[in-house]
Amino acid sequence: MDLQQRLRNTFVEALALGEDVDVENLKYRDIDEWDSVGHMALVAAIEDEFDVQFETEQVIDMSSFKVSLDMLKDLGAE
Amino acid sequence: MSLLAPGARLVDATSGEVLAGPELRAAVDKISAELAALPAGVLFARTSVDVPSVLRYVAAFESGRAVALLDAGQDREVLLGLVARFRPAAVLGGEGEPPAGYTADWVREDADGVVPHPDLAVLLPTSGSTGNPKFVRLSRQAVLANAEAIAEVLGITADEVAPTSLPLHYSYGMSVLNSHLLRGATVVVEPTGVMGRPFWQAVEEHKITSLAGVPYHYEMLKRLRFDPAKYPSLRTITQAGGKLREDLVVEFNDKMLAAGGRMFVMYGQTEAAPRMATVPAEKLAEKIGSAGPALPGGAFSIRLEDGTETSVPDVVGEVLYRGPNVMMGYAESEEELAEPDSRGGLLETGDLGRLDADGYLFITGRLKRIGKVFGNRVNLDDLEQMLRGSGLDIGAAAAVPAGDKVVVWVENCAADTRKAAAKALSEKLHMHVSGFDVRDIDALPLLASGKIDYRSLEGRA
Repeated sequence: MDLQQRLRNTFVEALALGEDVDVENLKYRDIDEWDSVGHMALVAAIEDEFDVQFETEQVIDMSSFKVSLDMLKDLGAE
Repeated sequence: MSLLAPGARLVDATSGEVLAGPELRAAVDKISAELAALPAGVLFARTSVDVPSVLRYVAAFESGRAVALLDAGQDREVLLGLVARFRPAAVLGGEGEPPAGYTADWVREDADGVVPHPDLAVLLPTSGSTGNPKFVRLSRQAVLANAEAIAEVLGITADEVAPTSLPLHYSYGMSVLNSHLLRGATVVVEPTGVMGRPFWQAVEEHKITSLAGVPYHYEMLKRLRFDPAKYPSLRTITQAGGKLREDLVVEFNDKMLAAGGRMFVMYGQTEAAPRMATVPAEKLAEKIGSAGPALPGGAFSIRLEDGTETSVPDVVGEVLYRGPNVMMGYAESEEELAEPDSRGGLLETGDLGRLDADGYLFITGRLKRIGKVFGNRVNLDDLEQMLRGSGLDIGAAAAVPAGDKVVVWVENCAADTRKAAAKALSEKLHMHVSGFDVRDIDALPLLASGKIDYRSLEGRA
């Protein structure tokens, strides 16, 4: 499975998203599920799934699915 | 006495707009005039973390109109149920199709309605015994007395700058707003919260001086490796909304002290408008685990099982609180809005606890089975009832508190059903789905009496 698909699955699982959600275009606070509580669960889930650790600045800058994908790529996640 | 001191300022962090002093007063007075034209009855205010929500609340309070603060994200169905039960004069911030009997602007067409009791100022929702929300009735005097007492123990001056880190329809969020406006301080309205970049930009740009959080905020700040040294203006942090684990109290207190700042641990309930106790910052290190002494003007005592009260140290019983900030009572219907005070300044908290020799309260448990989900109180028996009524094919269920979450054990429950159950609870209670940890169990453990052994389940949660 490629990085984007795995990240998509991690989003769906961590935020308990419905099938109708356009995950790839999702932004922080667009939907009830991705509020500050959801953000904390999401960050922890991504770190577990990809065995990475985000810096404080990255956690608060992770404002969309796309941004988080770019961050993972920068961290060399596979 | 007014909630709004002459020097109070409101900053919109999103637009950068500032309403200060006479301008803020004029903005409030303009809305007050509009409210005066509405028919008799309580006002419902759909409340978000934005400037219009703050102005509506303050205008209602200042003009003596009883106002119920409701989560703007609340299910439409729940809102319509409340409208039917309480027949508000208007739903401020109402969106979409209005209910029958209301104009397009959500103003009640029928001019006749129950006039709320003249002392009644603010209504805050809490979960009722049937899972339907009911309101805590707070008098104008209780709200003002509590805001004044909080401002006193926290040493709030006109120089303080507080962000809205909590929802305003939540009693703690409301009290942060009240205690700062009352002292002519600045409130920065910022909707993204501590997990968003804009929040921290606002801290720097507006030189925010304090931060209020419930336990999960402190889990977030720990996750963010929060370092007060990076934010030279931010020198006060406060914590309430449930007991924070003691290692985090120590960690954050040490961090704040090292940066020349301070931390306050507090205790309250919506029924007390909401604050009852605060540990003075300089005593926190030696009173870890305590909720603090009663606020000025308030007093605690401990009620034993035989009904007698004591203030003898280290005796455990139900915590009773007496003070000017205690609610008038609850309201479950329109008629009850007109009722006078039914409590006489006494609040039976439902918490179990003890006082130490210095009068500091230590909470040890709950009389009823109550859990906290991200700072919000949830009746665990109600929650089990909701699952049974959810329409899901679900076996015997038992809910126990687990820190910031609730763990629900369900007999022989497939993964899909567990997910659906968590989602159903999240939607019904409008709390994040990660607050409900639904787990499978072969058989719930029972006591010799045949009742569910909740204590053993708590040990496994």
